[in-house]
Amino acid sequence: MSEPLVKVDQLTKLFPVSRGMFRRPVDFIHAVDGVSFEIAPGESLGLVGESGCGKTTTGRLLVKLMEPTSGQILMQDEGSLIDVAHIGSDDLRRFRRRVQMIFQDPYESMNPRRTVFETVSEPLAVQNIGSLREREDRVAQMLQLVGLTPPNTFLFRYPHELSGGQRQRVAIARALVLDPSFVVADEPTSMLDVSIRISIMELMLELADAFDVSYLYITHDLAVARYMCDRIAVMYLGKIVELGDTEEVLSNPLHPYTRALLSAVPVPDPTYRKPEVEIKGGITKAINPPSECRFIERCPWATDICHASEHPPLEDKGAGHFVACHLVDKGAG
Amino acid sequence: MSSPPLLEVDRLVMHYVTEKGEVSAVEDVSFSLKKGEALGLVGESGCGKTSIAMSLLRLQADNAVFKSGEIRLNGENLLALPEDEMRRHRWKDIAMVFQGAMNAWNPVYRVGDQIREALDLHFRPRLSDAEVTERISRLFEMVGLNPAMANRYPHEFSGGMRQRAIIAMALSCDPSIIIADEPTTALDVIVQDQILQELKKIQEELGMAIIYISHDIAVIAEVTDTIGIMYAGKLVELGPTVEVFARPKHPYAYLLLSSTPSVTGPRRKLAPLEGEPPNLLNPPTGCRFHPRCPYATERCSIDEPPMEVVGDGHQVACWNWQEVPVTISQEARP
Repeated sequence: MSEPLVKVDQLTKLFPVSRGMFRRPVDFIHAVDGVSFEIAPGESLGLVGESGCGKTTTGRLLVKLMEPTSGQILMQDEGSLIDVAHIGSDDLRRFRRRVQMIFQDPYESMNPRRTVFETVSEPLAVQNIGSLREREDRVAQMLQLVGLTPPNTFLFRYPHELSGGQRQRVAIARALVLDPSFVVADEPTSMLDVSIRISIMELMLELADAFDVSYLYITHDLAVARYMCDRIAVMYLGKIVELGDTEEVLSNPLHPYTRALLSAVPVPDPTYRKPEVEIKGGITKAINPPSECRFIERCPWATDICHASEHPPLEDKGAGHFVACHLVDKGAG
Repeated sequence: MSSPPLLEVDRLVMHYVTEKGEVSAVEDVSFSLKKGEALGLVGESGCGKTSIAMSLLRLQADNAVFKSGEIRLNGENLLALPEDEMRRHRWKDIAMVFQGAMNAWNPVYRVGDQIREALDLHFRPRLSDAEVTERISRLFEMVGLNPAMANRYPHEFSGGMRQRAIIAMALSCDPSIIIADEPTTALDVIVQDQILQELKKIQEELGMAIIYISHDIAVIAEVTDTIGIMYAGKLVELGPTVEVFARPKHPYAYLLLSSTPSVTGPRRKLAPLEGEPPNLLNPPTGCRFHPRCPYATERCSIDEPPMEVVGDGHQVACWNWQEVPVTISQEARP
């Protein structure tokens, strides 16, 4: 593998939970807890899991919308490595050129008083790139690329004049207008109708090639992750429990949580007989979690080893298939 | 001979009257439901599926107008009933599991008391307090909730538990039909699976008929016998679920299935559907799908295609259904 574009090491984010008379934070939600992974240039990594697993927080940490409690995020930038947590204000602007985000809700992520042109050209203005004329050309070119054609019919429209799919196309144009190398996409298609969803997914795949951009693709939908991502990481209560090539993880899931998740996914084939979902209880919150395996209470297979040990490390079980489980043998991948 | 239908929707036309004009929300929709049958209505937002669900209970929005057609429950036209008679059918004969389990409960009453209210209203002769308590306990057990939870308030329930309690409420008066409108949409996939399995089990045990309404074609595949595919207020295809998935006949159904990703099977290339659904204030002439349809011919923009029988219990509204490929393309994603 070439030098990673993004290298995340032991990333942790704790949120204080205020309780009691003086609202002193005594407890902490371990939203992201010792997460490590790498993303190669041009690669798309899927971050999947249920609500509250920490996938969105991880994404926000990576684009510096939030500061980590501890851990490191390193990013490749024209030969040098940036330590995202310690970017000075000068470098921050440069960082924002390289890294962008696409949000879930195209109805909320756009300023309703700004035209499409203003929204898409704003990053260029902030970065002081080009004259007004050049910005107009660039925005028109971006709208063309995202399929809002002819561009001049869209330039001066407001968000309320656009459909959900069109708004998400504008969001994509805005994210890519600075030619970034890394984009965090947080459920970019989950608010869209099925018939619109695939065209947005296809567009993102095409543009990933054209712009040579890497995605961290956050989704709760494993079928979408399968379509979009080269590798996937499965999160449970702040921890990555399994990580590997998408097809390998989906055809040979090794962590008990991944297995449960996968067997619960509805399949668009009425003749398909789903395996039983083997999981106990309901999801909890990671408030001051015990030191054992995060999945222990819901795991139908937990043994004495699991109860006697710390949360298992994310280990390569063969061929780059990483699993955090005491019960999975090396070589199972 | 097949059993007579429990519920028949017969050429239903419902519009919403707005300042900008009439929205043609449900246009000439017909289907029927047999005792114990699980029917799914699938389509995108604004296709009319929730309008139909609300119409079945006569809980449609204030600006809704029934232009023509009938909804018959055991032969009786519900649309002709006065409101007080309709109220007798609600919960007792047709119950509903709403979408958004979070908002369906009154936050200041115990969950058990809210179910008790429905039982008091509908059971004749009225049940004694002890009978009601006993019944609520049994309902809670049936949906996989601890009966002690009946004394708790809605905020003490998780999303999945609230949805289970909603199902318990819907079952409380032994309805013959349950309408489940996006029953699991707000839930995570593991909880969704548990709720769907639970509903399916209960439906089979009690022999109830159920209408699932969902935008998620994979959910419909899992739990229904019959599927109706809606587009822009029209029912465009209706048939046995297995048959429609194997050999969709309507171009929209075909494209919808072609564009649904799955975690199983080969990683297929998905075919995007061009364009967006029409504005129903001013729907396209002829077939409402023709502006987006790759198989459309001149006739499609002029004449509205009627439902045509194309197989055993399988109907489709398309002039050119014979042009649609017989099976979904299995071409792999590059």
